[in-house]
Amino acid sequence: MSHDVSSQLLNLACGLFLLTALGVLWRRQVSALVSLLTLQGALLTTIAVLLAAEHHSAAALAVAAGIGILKAGIVPWMLRRVHRLVPDARETRPLVNISASILAAAGLTLLGYAAARPLVAAASSASGRATPVGLAVVLIGFFLAATRQRAISQIIGVLLIDNGIAAVAFLATGGVPLVVELGVSADLALAVLVLQILTNRLHATFGSTDLDELRELHD
Amino acid sequence: MNPIAAGLAATTGLAMCASVAAIGTPSRWRARVVGVLTAVSGTAGVAAGIAAVTGIGWRAELPGVLPLAGLTLDADALSGWFLVIVGAVTTVVGIYTIGYAGGDGRGPGSGTSLTVLPVFTAAMALVPVAGSVPTLLAVWELMAVASLLLVLTEHRHRAAVRSAGVWYAAMTQAGFVALLVGLLWLAAATGSVSFAGIRSAAGHLPAAVTGAVFLLCLAGFASKAGAVPLHPWLPRAHAEAPSHVSMLMSAAMVKLGVYGILRVGFDLLGGGPRWWWLVVAALGALSALYGIMQAAVAGDLKRLLAFSTSENIGLILLGIGFTGVLAHAGNTLAAGLAMTAVLLHTVNHAAFKTLLFAGAGSVVRATGTRHLDQLGGLVRPMPVTTAFVATGALAAAALPPGNGFVSEWLLLQAFLHPGQGADTALTIAAPLAVAVVALTTGVAVVTFVKAVGTGFLARPRSDCAARAVESPASMLTAMGVAAAGCVALAVVPALATPALTRVLAGLQLGGTPVNREVLGLHLAGTAASVRPLWLAVGIVAVTGTVAVTARSLGRARRRAIAWDCGDGPLTARMEYTATSFAEPLQRVFDDVLAPERDIDVTHDTESAYHVAAIRYHQQIPDRIENRLYRPVVDTVAAVGTRARALASGSVHRYLAYMLVALVVVLVAGVIR
Repeated sequence: MSHDVSSQLLNLACGLFLLTALGVLWRRQVSALVSLLTLQGALLTTIAVLLAAEHHSAAALAVAAGIGILKAGIVPWMLRRVHRLVPDARETRPLVNISASILAAAGLTLLGYAAARPLVAAASSASGRATPVGLAVVLIGFFLAATRQRAISQIIGVLLIDNGIAAVAFLATGGVPLVVELGVSADLALAVLVLQILTNRLHATFGSTDLDELRELHD
Repeated sequence: MNPIAAGLAATTGLAMCASVAAIGTPSRWRARVVGVLTAVSGTAGVAAGIAAVTGIGWRAELPGVLPLAGLTLDADALSGWFLVIVGAVTTVVGIYTIGYAGGDGRGPGSGTSLTVLPVFTAAMALVPVAGSVPTLLAVWELMAVASLLLVLTEHRHRAAVRSAGVWYAAMTQAGFVALLVGLLWLAAATGSVSFAGIRSAAGHLPAAVTGAVFLLCLAGFASKAGAVPLHPWLPRAHAEAPSHVSMLMSAAMVKLGVYGILRVGFDLLGGGPRWWWLVVAALGALSALYGIMQAAVAGDLKRLLAFSTSENIGLILLGIGFTGVLAHAGNTLAAGLAMTAVLLHTVNHAAFKTLLFAGAGSVVRATGTRHLDQLGGLVRPMPVTTAFVATGALAAAALPPGNGFVSEWLLLQAFLHPGQGADTALTIAAPLAVAVVALTTGVAVVTFVKAVGTGFLARPRSDCAARAVESPASMLTAMGVAAAGCVALAVVPALATPALTRVLAGLQLGGTPVNREVLGLHLAGTAASVRPLWLAVGIVAVTGTVAVTARSLGRARRRAIAWDCGDGPLTARMEYTATSFAEPLQRVFDDVLAPERDIDVTHDTESAYHVAAIRYHQQIPDRIENRLYRPVVDTVAAVGTRARALASGSVHRYLAYMLVALVVVLVAGVIR
């Protein structure tokens, strides 16, 4: 695989990575959201593999494999289990409607690109120039978490943020040390586990996973 | 091995042992083990300090101890002087703790309290030997946090302790922020974090930078020293902390504030312009006057002692300010004299305040109350404690032959010899300072006569005072050691002159102009001299002679009850109380103190002319606190209450806050 093809593939993967984030914002059906998230995990793995191949690094390849297992395997599997236990978790009434969300996402993407200009200017390779994609996904993830009602949407928002951070880490540095990635992944798995349990308990207690029900708990 | 290094290693090592031992020892033995280890650790500190004031000097870099900056230790004569103070107070407190905390393993004897106590003493011992900005800040903060935990020892029993803790925490942290900004600014401007580097580069800094750094450091150190108007934490924390902690805080910790001002002002910044020192002197004069006035009218024994600490710190700051002003006027002789007085007074105050707080602790332990109006008659059940407290009170009142007299006399001599070439400011300031010292000393006499007279003499005013019993031997031993220190400082202060010369040389003030004669002090260039030993011997001899002569030669004495108006034996209700004793003085300073009086007169139902009962209630609020701090506290509380609306409990809103914050930061980055 030539260098040119490799960088083309990397750009394609980054583009799709951003597109899946937009897709998550657009779709309401939880099963579709989980599929999109699985796809995004796979794309992140692809990015990691391409970068590992470019640097000929076995450790980076191991990190990529770990990411693939966690983000395209374990996490979606956990989410599907939540969905099976709480079947009515369709995002019915987001705080900001879908078209406005997409517009806001466009604005956030623009902001991500604008803010990452110094990073792009400092980068020498194709991978470095794709860094803003990760930043945009982080912002979109935040937006999703802040504007959706259902607990499962919040989990997906947090996962988008994490995917975005991971993408920035890979693209800006060309690979993360194995130890760091292991630590981050363990944290993430734990967070998803906690949120999953919380969702189940919420459902069991209130019969719904609408987070606005929790408002009475403050102070 | 360098003796300073050995002493410091022993101090910190033993303190850590004591701290660990407090966790592992059963409560029956805890106070004994911790007390003994702490006392030995303090003695090692004294040894290290004495080694340092002999001018050996020691410097060490321990890069691995603290992250990023490492630990730099640098001991010179000035460090040694304050290390001796901290070590000596620690020794006394260690002995005192054995009896004071050796009760049921709760309160001061709890595992937490006894674990933190050695940490506090070790941190205090390290403050004067810190040789770099990060080291000083680290040990300073360790000292502050440890002392806060100790102040909160009895937080379960009294709400006042919690309030005192909040005040102390807020003020010590504010002071720390001022120090942090000031010292880091200094380090950034000079390009060096070590004191040696700062010292050599500080001369080239612009005056605005050094002035701002000095003011910030002064705010931080003076608030720790309890100078008015940065004092509101002090009467609260000193009064509410267990007494062994009050001893440490009042005798040792506030002195480290003085150390900081000396280190930064004279050593690191090399003197500076005159207005710095006029500010310090003004701060000192205010503290001295306000502190002693509040002490004179305080009804709470420990609050009285706490305000007396403010007063003594005020005198010390006045001396420091005059040292700077006089050095600026080129009068090194008087400047050296003022600094000698300052250094001696730090030691003297440490000695008598250790003793007095130890006495107050014994009283509280024996009677359960700190209020002078409920005490009285303690001289019969607690004769030894009373004798020791009287010794301390004599020193605190600055009367000969007490040790406070020597240093205040030196201070007055410095103000009385401002030199021939003095300019207008100094010519006006010097007599004013004399007046401040004179007034302070006069009111101090009334204050301590009140404390001893109403607290210990006469008849008990309440059941708890009547049931008092003498303290255990270890507490009496500790008070005895402190009293012996007071007496030694009172009669042979001349022994300290070689050390003083070296400390002054380190502060670029030449040597001390106080010449050592045999058992006396003579001031170079003046006719003034004092021989404390002969003064003490003379006073004792004259008093004794008069008493003996009156007994043997006078007429036969007739015993009769005085002032009972023929109405049978005197009762406790007929005695002067602390409040009534201070009332004439309070009347004089009515406009300054603005007391709030409340008199309830109840009449009989049968006749409006017949009075059944009169209730008198008086409260003396801290006016400086009310004017300066109350508005700030109220504003912060109002903003805090309003800010609760931000936290509505909605998860979405919190997430939106985070998103908005992130976007704002990114947009700001893009626009820039």
